[in-house]
Amino acid sequence: MSEKVSELSMLEAINETLHSEMARDERIVVLGEDVGRNGGVFRATEGLIEKFGENRVVDTPISEAAIAGSAVGLAMAGLVPVAEIQFLGFSYQAMHQIAGQIARLRYRTQSRFEPQITIRAPFGGGVRTPELHSDSLEAQFANIPGLKIVLPATASDAKGLLTSAIRDPDPVLFLEPLRGYRGIRDLVPDEEHAIPLGEANLVKKGDDIVIISWSYQVELSKRVAESLEEDGVSVAVLDLRSIVPLDVEALTQIVAHCGRAVVVQEAPETGGFASEIIATINDECFWSLEAPVARVSGFDVPYPVGMLENLYVPDEARIRAAVLKTMEEE
Amino acid sequence: MAFEFRLPDIGEGLEDAEIVSWYVSPGDVVERDQALLEVLTDKASSELPSPVAGTVLELSGQEGERIKVGDVLIQIEEANSNSDQKTSTEKTSKKIDKAEIEETDTPSEDKNNFISVAPKVKASPATRKLARELAVDISIISGTGPSGRITNEDIHSAVETANEVTDSTSTTAEPITDVEKSSLVQGERSGLGYMKSGEHKIKGVRGVIAKNMSASWSEIPHIHSLDEVDASLLIDFRNRLKKVTHQSASKITPLSIVAAATVRALKKYPMMNGHIVGNPAEKVMIPPFVNLGIAVASDSGLLVPVINEVDNLDIFELAEKISGLVELAREQKIKAQQMQGATFTVTNYGSLGGALGASYNLQRSGWHSWSW
Amino acid sequence: MPKPNEKQLQMILEDMVVARTQAGRLWNLQRQGQVGTIAPIDGHEAAIVGAVHALETESDWVLPQYREPLGLRKYGPEVLDTFMLYNLGHPAGGHIPEPVKVAPSQISLGASIPHAVGLAWGMSLKDESGVVLVFFGDGASSEGDFYEAGNLAGVLKAPVIFLCINNQWAISTPTHLQTAADSFASKAEAFGIPGLTVDGNDPASVYEAVSEARNRATSGKGPTLIEATVYRLGAHTTADDPTRYVPSEDLSDAQKKDPVHTLIHEMKERNLWSDAKQSEVETAALERIDEAFEKAKNTPLSANSLMDHCFTSDTERQSRQRSFLMHSIGESNE
Repeated sequence: MSEKVSELSMLEAINETLHSEMARDERIVVLGEDVGRNGGVFRATEGLIEKFGENRVVDTPISEAAIAGSAVGLAMAGLVPVAEIQFLGFSYQAMHQIAGQIARLRYRTQSRFEPQITIRAPFGGGVRTPELHSDSLEAQFANIPGLKIVLPATASDAKGLLTSAIRDPDPVLFLEPLRGYRGIRDLVPDEEHAIPLGEANLVKKGDDIVIISWSYQVELSKRVAESLEEDGVSVAVLDLRSIVPLDVEALTQIVAHCGRAVVVQEAPETGGFASEIIATINDECFWSLEAPVARVSGFDVPYPVGMLENLYVPDEARIRAAVLKTMEEE
Repeated sequence: MAFEFRLPDIGEGLEDAEIVSWYVSPGDVVERDQALLEVLTDKASSELPSPVAGTVLELSGQEGERIKVGDVLIQIEEANSNSDQKTSTEKTSKKIDKAEIEETDTPSEDKNNFISVAPKVKASPATRKLARELAVDISIISGTGPSGRITNEDIHSAVETANEVTDSTSTTAEPITDVEKSSLVQGERSGLGYMKSGEHKIKGVRGVIAKNMSASWSEIPHIHSLDEVDASLLIDFRNRLKKVTHQSASKITPLSIVAAATVRALKKYPMMNGHIVGNPAEKVMIPPFVNLGIAVASDSGLLVPVINEVDNLDIFELAEKISGLVELAREQKIKAQQMQGATFTVTNYGSLGGALGASYNLQRSGWHSWSW
Repeated sequence: MPKPNEKQLQMILEDMVVARTQAGRLWNLQRQGQVGTIAPIDGHEAAIVGAVHALETESDWVLPQYREPLGLRKYGPEVLDTFMLYNLGHPAGGHIPEPVKVAPSQISLGASIPHAVGLAWGMSLKDESGVVLVFFGDGASSEGDFYEAGNLAGVLKAPVIFLCINNQWAISTPTHLQTAADSFASKAEAFGIPGLTVDGNDPASVYEAVSEARNRATSGKGPTLIEATVYRLGAHTTADDPTRYVPSEDLSDAQKKDPVHTLIHEMKERNLWSDAKQSEVETAALERIDEAFEKAKNTPLSANSLMDHCFTSDTERQSRQRSFLMHSIGESNE
């Protein structure tokens, strides 16, 4: 059986998914800054207002707290809000609503109210944005029980995961890599495509060592893995796809198989989600390890200005070095 | 049963409150919600209303007294005694017995602190797993990896070596008679030295001995020196000592004289009392005292009771101690703590015959073998 | 302006007396160590009950802050039953059952205001007829949520009523340290919506203002900000000592305007209330709260509820933790 596919950028895949989901479910309301007339500052919501009208595609004031907070009310009304925070760095202005309200709504009302809310936000470095546009905050959200955190690494996954995120009855933070919007292109199924949340993807098989990552860093990890293959190192790459829920089984299986692992994240090292991955490996398959698990991270400084960016964001050389060092460990 | 009204935490994390004034006295009849007293907390002064209706039996504090949250304030005989509520606040915190904690201390360990500087075996979790699967004890293997780390290779070669030993043993063994063969198959012969072919787990005391002896071979630098001496003077010395009027005179043996001489030699040449730390060797540890191990053959194997700080003992005391410990060891009543921490050990192969017998048992220390 | 008729005023007074009476019992339960921290309603009864009686319980939502539940009797017995569970610290205290259109208490000040806007907006998107009334205080009006939500509601013309009960105190901070504006109602101007101040000790005035706001909302004219001025007659909460900062002369002045006493006096003069009625209502109110409290205490509590309702189903990690929890207390997690 061959399903029809088209080559799309991640941005096009997201836009197409929003179109198809809004057409499928009339409860869906898209809200955010510049999501209507402008079609989103990255064009992720392009064409939605023309097709679905001003009632369902709403340009809000510059009010992150009100975007997140009114999403709670929309969900209480039985609608399905898909909110956009224009850049994840500005989620701080909405943090009390996301962490204090959205994530707790189901728990504190014992499911009287169901927060079927998706919050989309672009994040991540490498595109020389102004301050606070590039920060990788996923670990901060991972420490908030009640919130799912999904981070696609390919256009195809962006479609499959966004579809599931919107349909999920629990609140989902859907984080889109700025660098991948146009930088990542792959074959995306034309038909409905839903990938269950919490299923990691072994994007490349390997026997000697596994690189574990998510979002844009998966792309870099794949390149490193392929180049090392020429050097005779068999490198697997695991794309977690979501950090909450975490696919512990897939993680454990591949780490136990390879015995060596490197975790790659763009966020600062201290308290990053890579640390959580390593703790999980420690819990689940410590005795299969042949070497300490390495981390490749940003540095423990605020996300820097443009001229320093390339020093900050992990690149192929840093990942490669970490892989080789881990291979040398006995 | 009287209702006990205990001081509630009325202000989010209070510890105690002061009784400002009592509004009731014993014998008073009170209604539910009637104010019983006024208390002053860190946050506010408050009236505390009665949770039940009844007759006041007893007040538990004077005005001006501070009372802890959870302590009884007042006892009231309930008018309606079918209430099953006995107290307003349950105090559940369990007091931990101080003695219980102190008992777990093992003060004897202090003297043997120098032992703990011995490095842990370095091996990755995967290597440890492989070793467990192949029943290889990594503590007796010397690592060939970086900083002496044990590698998977080391584990595999340890298995090969073990197999070679088994093979050579079987090829050099004397021909087995039919009777012996059949009894081996049935597993009925279990005397010393007999074992079926195949893998055997070494358990219990023999396992410890095997492990220590194997480690001794790899961790202790070996120098063998064989001298024959005329012991007639020693025997003469023993005979003279036995005649001395001393309660321990009868315990003097050639071994105790050799032990005493060894201690004196070690005090003169402290390096011989030292041991090497690190693998590969990093430093020499010289303890400030001599703990002398005495090898004893017992039914469960070679045991090495240790006499601590033997350098402070005279020859009679030493003989007395050796005698006592050897007895305990032979009867296998000796405790593990009594076999730890030797800085130097003496063994006596003489009873088994032969010119030289050397067995090496790792005690984080040197081993002196003496045969006569 | 629509005024409450005599029958409605009687019902309003009854609810106010019930709230005041039950608040006394609740305070004592706290002082006896039987329930957790309470925010007394004393002095706020007219504003809360008057507002609620202007709503349609079938269609209109109430989003309380945390001082209001005893005044929401009109919305049915489930509100008190759930509130007593809440005061005990029982997880079911957050679930007011369907179809009661009341949200549980909101501890984060002002955080429900954007929820109210979203809910009202959603209801209008679904062509539902009701409105949303959200309670908050003078202190909460300084939160960003109030401004962001008020602004958004103005833009969306959401059918929402912002009811700011100005009780003169944000714990110990008086209103002149809370804002330099002439009134809290004047902040409506920034949102482009009507704002008015009413006497919160007079339930008829509050009723009229809320009825008017409701008419505006349901006819598509958008939100209204109402400031109901009252005086907090009790402590901020059971953990607070207002004698440290409330001037006693201010308090005794306010006590002369006590909304419950004032209305009882007025209604007795109009022969719409009597001492016998008063005592009958008080007795029933106490029996009712005792019944609710007993019911709450007898509501089963499973250790499983520590883990329940975080997500629709446990993550792998949560189910491991749930097993650990149940194992550690020696129960099966079936």
